[in-house]
Amino acid sequence: MSGKYNIVTYGVAFAIILALNFLLPRMMPGDPLMAIYGDEALIAMTPELKASLVERFALDQSLWQQFGAYISSLFQGDLGYSYYYNAPVIDVIMGSLPWTLLIIGTSLVLSTLLGILLGIESGWRRGSRTDRAMLAGLMSLNGFPDFFLGLLLLIIFGVLLGVCPLSGAMTPYSGLSGMALVLDVLKHMALPVAALTLAHLSGGYLLTRNTMISVLKAPFMLTARAKGLSQRALKYRHAGRNSMLPVITMTGIWLGRLVTGALFVELVFAYPGVGYLTYQALLARDYPLIQGVFLMVTFSVLIANFSVDMLYPRLDPRVSYAY
Amino acid sequence: MHIDIKAEIKRSRAGRIGIALLLLIIAFAILAPLLSGYDPGQQSTDSLLPPSTSHWLGTNHVGQDIWSQLLYGARTSLLVGFGVGIISLVLSIIFGVSSALIGGLCDNIVMRIVDAFIIVPMVVVVILIAAYVKPDIPALIIILSALSWQGGARVIRAQALSLKERGHINAARACGGGRPYIAWRHIIPDLGPILLVEFIYGVRRAVFMEAGLAFLGIGDPMLVSWGEMMRDAMKFSYLDVWQWWLIPAGVMLSLTIIGLTFVSHAAETVIDPRLKGAEVA
Repeated sequence: MSGKYNIVTYGVAFAIILALNFLLPRMMPGDPLMAIYGDEALIAMTPELKASLVERFALDQSLWQQFGAYISSLFQGDLGYSYYYNAPVIDVIMGSLPWTLLIIGTSLVLSTLLGILLGIESGWRRGSRTDRAMLAGLMSLNGFPDFFLGLLLLIIFGVLLGVCPLSGAMTPYSGLSGMALVLDVLKHMALPVAALTLAHLSGGYLLTRNTMISVLKAPFMLTARAKGLSQRALKYRHAGRNSMLPVITMTGIWLGRLVTGALFVELVFAYPGVGYLTYQALLARDYPLIQGVFLMVTFSVLIANFSVDMLYPRLDPRVSYAY
Repeated sequence: MHIDIKAEIKRSRAGRIGIALLLLIIAFAILAPLLSGYDPGQQSTDSLLPPSTSHWLGTNHVGQDIWSQLLYGARTSLLVGFGVGIISLVLSIIFGVSSALIGGLCDNIVMRIVDAFIIVPMVVVVILIAAYVKPDIPALIIILSALSWQGGARVIRAQALSLKERGHINAARACGGGRPYIAWRHIIPDLGPILLVEFIYGVRRAVFMEAGLAFLGIGDPMLVSWGEMMRDAMKFSYLDVWQWWLIPAGVMLSLTIIGLTFVSHAAETVIDPRLKGAEVA
C-alpha cells in the first residue's frame, strides 16, 4: 500500500465503522430511541427525559441532521450513557480497559516472540522430523478456537489441579498490597494469557518458517556460509533476522485477532476486561455500551494497523522503494 | 497453472488427514438421524444424566440427549460453513476478476473498499450486527458472506492481473472475445487452486464465527450448535459433566477446523511450490 492510498483506505474503514454504528440502531423496526438505548432505559424513561433525548439525537429531524448530531457528540468524547451501569459509557469502558490491555499486550509479545523463535528453528531444520512435528502440532493448535483452549486450560489447571484461580483478575477483598498483589494479579492472568498465546502462536510461526525457507536459499546465505561463519551466526544473525521482518507487517492484523480472542477468553475466565463487559452488555441489551465498545475496539485496531504501516518502511527500506 | 490439484492434495499426508477428518464430520452430519434415536431439541425431565446405554453422552441441563446434539451440531456448522464458503467465493470472483479486467477507476474504488474491510476486525463487526439483528441461519450466512469475500477478492484480482497479460488471453481478445467471455472461459478456470484455498478459508472462518457467536449467546437459541453446547456446559464446569458435554463439543469443532486447515495447507503448497518438500509428510 503506498502512502496516498493508505490514508484513503483508513478513511473508508472509519467511514464504514461510523456508518454501521449510526445506521444499525436507526434501521431497526420500532422506536429508534429504544434501539439506541436498549430495554434498560425504559425503566428510567420519563416524558422529560424522552424529550431531551429526542432533542439530543435530533430524532425528530432528517437522517442527515441526526448524523450531524451523532458525529458532533462523538467528537466531544460522548459515547452515550449506559442505563445498565448507570454511568457514562466512556467511564464504564475505561474501567475495564486496563485489564484487557494487560492480557492482550502480554500475549501479543509472548506469541510473537515464541512464534518467531519456533519458526526460525523449524525453518532451519526444514523437512526434518522436528520440523514436521512442529508444523503438524502448531497447525493443529491453530484449529482450536481460543475459547475452547481457554476452557481446556480452565478445567486442567483450575478445576483438576487447582493451581490457578477460576475467575476474576484478582482476589476480591483480599487487602493485598505490594509484591503479594502483583503475584495475585499474575496468577489470575496466567491462564487467559496462556490461552491467547497458544491460540495465536501459529500465525507468527508459519510466517517466519515460510520466510526462513526462502531466505535460506538467498545468495547472501551462501556468501555468509562461504565466509566460514558459525552455524549460530548463520541461523540467527543472517537467516533469522531477515525472516522476522514480515512478522512485523502482520502485527496489526494479529492485534485485531487478539482483541477478538480476548473477548471470548475473558468470558471463559470471567476476566473483568472489555470482552467480559461486552458479554454482559449483550446479555443486558445495553446498546449504548455495545456500540461504545465497538467504536473503541475498531478504532484502536485501526490506529494500531496504521502505526505498523507507518513504521514498517523505516525497518525495511526495501518496501518504500517498491512504490 | 494446469495442475491436478486433487492428486497434489492426496499426495500430501496433511491433505489426506484433512480430507479424512472432513469426510468423518460430513458423515456425522448426514447420518445424524440414523446414528441417534433422539430429537436434539426434545427436552425431558432427565437432566444432567451421566453417559449410559440409552444416552451415550448423557443429557444436558434441560434433559436433551448430548450425543444427538453433537451430531446435529455438525449440520449447523457445515451448513453455515459451506454456505458462506460458496457465497463469499462467488463474490470474491465477481469483484476480483471484474476489477482486474476493467481496471482504472473501478478497480481503484473496489480495492480501496476491500482494503478497508480487511483492516477492520470482522468478528467485532459481526457481533455488533448480530446483537441487533439476531440472525437465523440464512441471515447469518448472508452477514458472514458479506463480510468475508474481501480477502479472496484481493488474491484473485492479483492472479487475474497476471493471467490477463498472458499470450492466450491476448489471442482470445484478438479473436474478438469480450470481457465476460475471457473471464468465464480463460481466467476463472485458470484460478483453480487459489479458488480452493480461498473457499476453505471462507468455510473455516464461518465455522469458527458461527460457534463463537453461539458461544457468546447471540446466535439463534433454537439452533443446535457446538458453540451453544459449550456455552451451556461451561456454566456447569464445577460438575463432572464437562467430560461428556463440553469436551466432545469442543473436540468436534476443533477437528472440523483442523481438517480444513490441513486441506488448505496442502493446497497452498500446490500454489507456492517453494514450500514444497517441507510439508507435513
